[in-house]
Amino acid sequence: MNAPHENAPLRSTFTQGPRSRRSLVVVSAGLSQPSSTRLLADQLAAATRRRLDADAEAVDLRDRAHDLTNHLLTGFPAPELERVLDAVAHADGLIAVTPIFNASYSGLFKSFVDVLPEGTLADKPVLIAATGGTARHSLALEHAMRPLFAHLRAVVVPTAVFAAPEDWGGGATAHGPLAARIERAAAELAVEIERREPPVVPDPFDEPTPFSELLGGQST
Amino acid sequence: MQFGIFSVGDVTPDPTNGTVPTEHERIKAMVAIALKAEEMGLDVFATGEHHNPPFVPSSPTTFLGYVAARTKRLILSTATTLITTNDPVKIAEDYAYLQHLADGRVDLMMGRGNTGPVYPWFGKDIRDGIALAVENYALLHRLWREEVVDWEGKFRTPLQSFTATPRPLDGVPPFVWHGSIRSPQIAEQAAYYGDGFFHNNIFWPVEHTKRMIELYRRRYEHYGHGSADQAIVGLGGQVFMRRNSQDAVREFRPYFDNAPVYGHGPSLEEFTEQTPLTVGSPQQVIDRTMTFREHFGDYQRQLFLMDHAGLPLKTVLEQLDMLGEEVVPVLRREMAALRPAHVPDAPTHASLRAAASAASAASSAASSEVGA
Repeated sequence: MNAPHENAPLRSTFTQGPRSRRSLVVVSAGLSQPSSTRLLADQLAAATRRRLDADAEAVDLRDRAHDLTNHLLTGFPAPELERVLDAVAHADGLIAVTPIFNASYSGLFKSFVDVLPEGTLADKPVLIAATGGTARHSLALEHAMRPLFAHLRAVVVPTAVFAAPEDWGGGATAHGPLAARIERAAAELAVEIERREPPVVPDPFDEPTPFSELLGGQST
Repeated sequence: MQFGIFSVGDVTPDPTNGTVPTEHERIKAMVAIALKAEEMGLDVFATGEHHNPPFVPSSPTTFLGYVAARTKRLILSTATTLITTNDPVKIAEDYAYLQHLADGRVDLMMGRGNTGPVYPWFGKDIRDGIALAVENYALLHRLWREEVVDWEGKFRTPLQSFTATPRPLDGVPPFVWHGSIRSPQIAEQAAYYGDGFFHNNIFWPVEHTKRMIELYRRRYEHYGHGSADQAIVGLGGQVFMRRNSQDAVREFRPYFDNAPVYGHGPSLEEFTEQTPLTVGSPQQVIDRTMTFREHFGDYQRQLFLMDHAGLPLKTVLEQLDMLGEEVVPVLRREMAALRPAHVPDAPTHASLRAAASAASAASSAASSEVGA
C-alpha cells in the first residue's frame, strides 16, 4: 500500500493550489537531523494526503528557533516566521509533532504555540503526535498535548500517534502497529478537514469596530 | 512638517562602563536634551510618563512647565500621556494650565501604557485598557470644549455642573495625538475625533505600521474630516549616527546588545533591517527616514528617540548636533518638495485659534444675515 515516493520528505515551500485543494501545515519540533520526529511528521502527512487532495508545508521549528526567541522578546515575528504563522492560520489542518522531553512537549514546541496569534487554531482540525525515548512516555500526548490544544480550541482528532524506538527499530516494518495508528489518525484528520469550509482569517485592520460601538452609548 | 525628539526617561546603565545616572542626573539630562532640541531648531520635545522605576518622568507637566519657561519656540508634548490611569479631569486641568504658561506651545499624545502593574496602583485594571481610553478621552474632550459638564460613566465618579479650570488658552483645546502600536480601536478613535494618530513604529516592521496607518487614514476620511491623505500622522524613529557608518555600528553595538529594550534578541543587523532603527551616517538616517514617506504617505510629525540604551548625555547631545545640523534641514527640504499642497501641516495652537475664529466669524456673519 505504501509506495516509496509517498513517504518522501515534503517539499518545504508552500504553494497556493486551486480553490478546491486543501492545505496542511506539518509542524515538527525535532532537533536532530535527520530526526525521527520529522520522519513521523512526514508519514502522517503522506497518509493524510492519500485521503485528501491537499498541499502540505513542512515546518521544522529547529530552523526557526532564533526567530521564535526573538519574537518572544520583541513581540513581532521576523519575516520568515511571520510567513509560517500565516500559513498555519490559513491551513485547513495542522499536524503537530513534538519530541517528549521530561514528560511533556519540548520547550521549542511550546514557544511556537506561544507565538501563535490568539484564535489561530480555533475550530482547526489538528492531529497530534510525538516521539520519545521510551514507550512509557506515550501518554504525554493525552495529559500534555491534548489539553494544550483543547485550550486553543482546536479540534484534536481522537487518535494521537506516539512513536517509540521500537516502532523504528527492533524488526519493526512499515506495516507494523505504528503504520496502523498513522493510517487511523490520518483518516480522522481528513474527515475533519473535509467537513469544514476553508478557514476565514479575520483581519482587524479591514473591519474595525465602529467607534459608536466602542463608546457603548456614551456621549462625546 | 514637524521634527522633534521624544524621551522615555529611562535610567539605563551605560553598558560600556557600568555608570548608572542618578534620578536627579537623568531628570536634569532630560532638561538639557529638551533645551538642546530648541537650540538645534527642532520643533517638538515629547516626554514619556511612567510611574515605576527605572523611569523618572512621573510628572510630565512639571517638567514641561519648566522647559516652557526656558524655551521660546519648542512645542511641548508627551509620548505618551496615560489616558487610562490618569483622571481625565486632572489631565484637562494640568494641560490647560500648561497651555497658559507655554503660550499655547502644547499638545499631547494619548497612550494606554503597557505596564500591567501600573493600573492597580491607580485603581484600574489593565483588562479595561481600551474601554478606559475610550471613556476617559470622551470626557476629556468634553471638559475642554464645554464650560459646564454633567457626566456619568463607568470608571470615575459622576460630575455635576463641573467646570474644568483654567479654560483652555483662547478657548482652543490642545491638539491631541493618539498613540498605539497594535490596537485598531485606537486608530479608530483618532479617526473618529479627527485627532492625530502617532505610530511609534520604532520596534515594529514596516508592514505592520502600514496597516495601522492605512486603517486610520481610511477611517479619518469615513468620519468626514478630510481625505485619507489629509489625516494627521506622526511616526517615531531611532537612530545612532557617526560620520562613518562603521564607527556608528562599532560604538552603538555594546549599547544595543545590552539595553533592556533591545538586547539578547535579534542581532543589531536583523533589528536594523526589520525595524526603523538606523545606525550609520547622517545620510543613511536621511535615506531611511525618507522611506517612511514612501511607506506611509506624506505625514506631519517625525519624532526621533535619541537618549536610548544608556547612552551618556554627552553622546546624546552630539547626536542632536548632527540631527539638527545635517539631518533635519535636509529632511525638511526634501519632504516639503514632495508634499502636495492639499496635505495639511500638523495643527498648532496658532492654526487652531485661526480656524476657530474663522468659524465663529462665519457663523456670526450667517446669523446677522438671518437677522437682517
